[in-house]
Amino acid sequence: MHLELENIRKVYDQKVAVDRLSLSVPRGVIYGIIGPNGAGKTTTIRMIMNIIAPDSGNIMFDGKKADISFLERVGYLPEERGLYKKMTLRQVITYMAELKGCPRKTTAGRISPWLEKMGLIEYIDQKVEELSKGMQQKLQFITTIIHEPDIIILDELFSGLDPINVELIKGILMDLKREGKTILFSTHVMEQAEKLCDNICMILNGTKVLDGTMSEIKSQFGKNSLHVEIKGDGSFISELPGVASLTEYSNYLEIKLAENANTQLILSKLVEKVEVRRFEIAEPSLYEIFISTAKVDPKELEDEAGAANV
Amino acid sequence: MSKIWVVIKCEYAQVVKKKSFIISIFLIPLLMAAFGILPALLATKSASSTQFLGVVDQSGAGVGEEFKSALKRYKLDDGETPYYEIDNIFIITPGDSEAFVSSVDSLTKALNDEEIKYFLIFKPGIEEADSNMALVTNSESFRTISRFEKVISHIAATMRLKKSNINLGVDSVLALTRRVDLPRRDAQGDSVDFETKYFASMIFISLIMFVIIGYGQVIMRSVIEEKTSRIMEVLVSSITPFQLMLGKVFGLGGATLTQLFIWILMGAALYFGSGAFAVAIDPGIAKIVFNPVVLTFFCLFLIFGYLMFATLFALLGSIVNSEKEAQNFVMPLTMLLVVPFVIGIAVIQEPNSTMARTLSMIPFFAPTLMMMRIIFVAPSVTEYSFFSGILGEAILSFVLLVVATFFVIWLSSRIFRIGILMYGKRPTLPEIIKWVRY
Repeated sequence: MHLELENIRKVYDQKVAVDRLSLSVPRGVIYGIIGPNGAGKTTTIRMIMNIIAPDSGNIMFDGKKADISFLERVGYLPEERGLYKKMTLRQVITYMAELKGCPRKTTAGRISPWLEKMGLIEYIDQKVEELSKGMQQKLQFITTIIHEPDIIILDELFSGLDPINVELIKGILMDLKREGKTILFSTHVMEQAEKLCDNICMILNGTKVLDGTMSEIKSQFGKNSLHVEIKGDGSFISELPGVASLTEYSNYLEIKLAENANTQLILSKLVEKVEVRRFEIAEPSLYEIFISTAKVDPKELEDEAGAANV
Repeated sequence: MSKIWVVIKCEYAQVVKKKSFIISIFLIPLLMAAFGILPALLATKSASSTQFLGVVDQSGAGVGEEFKSALKRYKLDDGETPYYEIDNIFIITPGDSEAFVSSVDSLTKALNDEEIKYFLIFKPGIEEADSNMALVTNSESFRTISRFEKVISHIAATMRLKKSNINLGVDSVLALTRRVDLPRRDAQGDSVDFETKYFASMIFISLIMFVIIGYGQVIMRSVIEEKTSRIMEVLVSSITPFQLMLGKVFGLGGATLTQLFIWILMGAALYFGSGAFAVAIDPGIAKIVFNPVVLTFFCLFLIFGYLMFATLFALLGSIVNSEKEAQNFVMPLTMLLVVPFVIGIAVIQEPNSTMARTLSMIPFFAPTLMMMRIIFVAPSVTEYSFFSGILGEAILSFVLLVVATFFVIWLSSRIFRIGILMYGKRPTLPEIIKWVRY
């Protein structure tokens, strides 16, 4: 299914949540909606899911206006998680699938393989409330995809998952993509978006500021970054000529170059003072693009991403 | 439609499989009997063993002895054992206050030790003023008091006649002025007394109340759960809010009907069953409870009363944010059901008064009040003439209830679809009215 948003606008009281937003999500891609908190990501997703109505604009599935029968072919994981606590895993999966029009018999055959894959098979006949929070999230992910939807919409998918489960879910998403499913997800964790997405749309204060395939967007920004790995004290680097800004990662530095910067000069200065293990002229990371586009304080974003990854 | 069915099945299964459902099937009738009805019933039932009493007779006119011999006519159910037995008669000379005080003291002690159930005090001049006598007891019974009054009236009248100058034999005057005991019966020649009707009507309206309030709150809680856990967001992208609401109401309604069906089976087993069970149920009550007209209206009022109130409870769940917040509103809603219980006393005394007629037409009160009136208005509960009198009124009140139920469902569906996705601030009444129009 091809999903299109045409000139969507939504106003809450006085605040414009989403403004003149148009998106085209092609079939079979992983599409990321990125943006800081409060940018309008969740509002956009809720409008796609027919939970709230846009004030103006259209949402189309395969060129037709969205209604419940189209939404049956969509799997949706809301930002705030929750399931029926008193039901068993089997019951809750069956019920959610049935509500999406997937008959009990069909679901019955799919439950065990999925629970197996997620490491939840031993809890199949236990109540949801007996699971840990992370397990409940994985369960809810199963309920989102159990009816084999064409489009899977995941709001802040990775928040609250540990790295092992993040990898597990990423693997599943890649499999689903290979099966031809369209995956749309929102996040403010750029590293994850960068690794997964074919297409990116960045929203800021309700308006679209970036849209396109990952490579298109990166080439827009040109090769204006240096990825540097050094041994020794690199505190002097930000003072070097041609260095516009510096982002420190755990094992390397990303240097944003000023215009007309002399990369050879920077390299020679580095070699003078520290041991250089890697020196690469590269495309900017999504994170760099995000920071420079959103003009947000990187520190603030770090905190958010950190909090979300706990 | 099939989506509603999915919700119905799930909600039904969730309730019926619970242990509390199975327990409540047995517990609710038991509790009802224990708390609501048994004491009332016991008060009107004849005693199973002889009741002992004492008398302090200071009248100087042998009132105590006359009272004692008059009581001999009351027998227990076997027709032989005396109903009352006077243990102690203290005959005291008028004016001997010391002996009076000590005999009252000893009888008070016997009463408190439960050796006797009543004692009576006759002072001089009982024929002149009622304040010259007293009944002392810790447990009154309507039946006993009415009997004592009758017996003592007779004694006092005899004394008055003797003092008067009427030139007629005392016995003939008493025969002429005999107090009547009005026998009650219906067109078929059967009699159903007030207590039995009261008891039967209590069975029905407490069942209606238990079911509506109990299941209404279950629906409300499940809506709140879905709202606070945000499952609602997934649900409304799968089915329409209207389907969801109806699915819940009908699913739990199915559970209600299951419970009702089991209760009726249990009742029938008691009624038609042999041996101890058949004896246990009062034939007068059985006559009302198993009357087809009464049973039909009971089922109709229960089902539609449930639908209306359950929808209101679902609506309530949709506009609040937590169960705690909901409790403030549950009160007024349940009051609509409890109020008839309170004014019910007036209704059963005068079931055809304008107030009773008007109130029983109001859909909120109809399930309880009309049910009472159906039982109380007919002198005979065994025969109702169709389309006249109480039956016509009952049908009208039921039709009004059905109309109101559909209106409430329509209204709720408009508020529900917005309420379930609103978080944070509780909507104000003007806002809710805006949603209905939207």
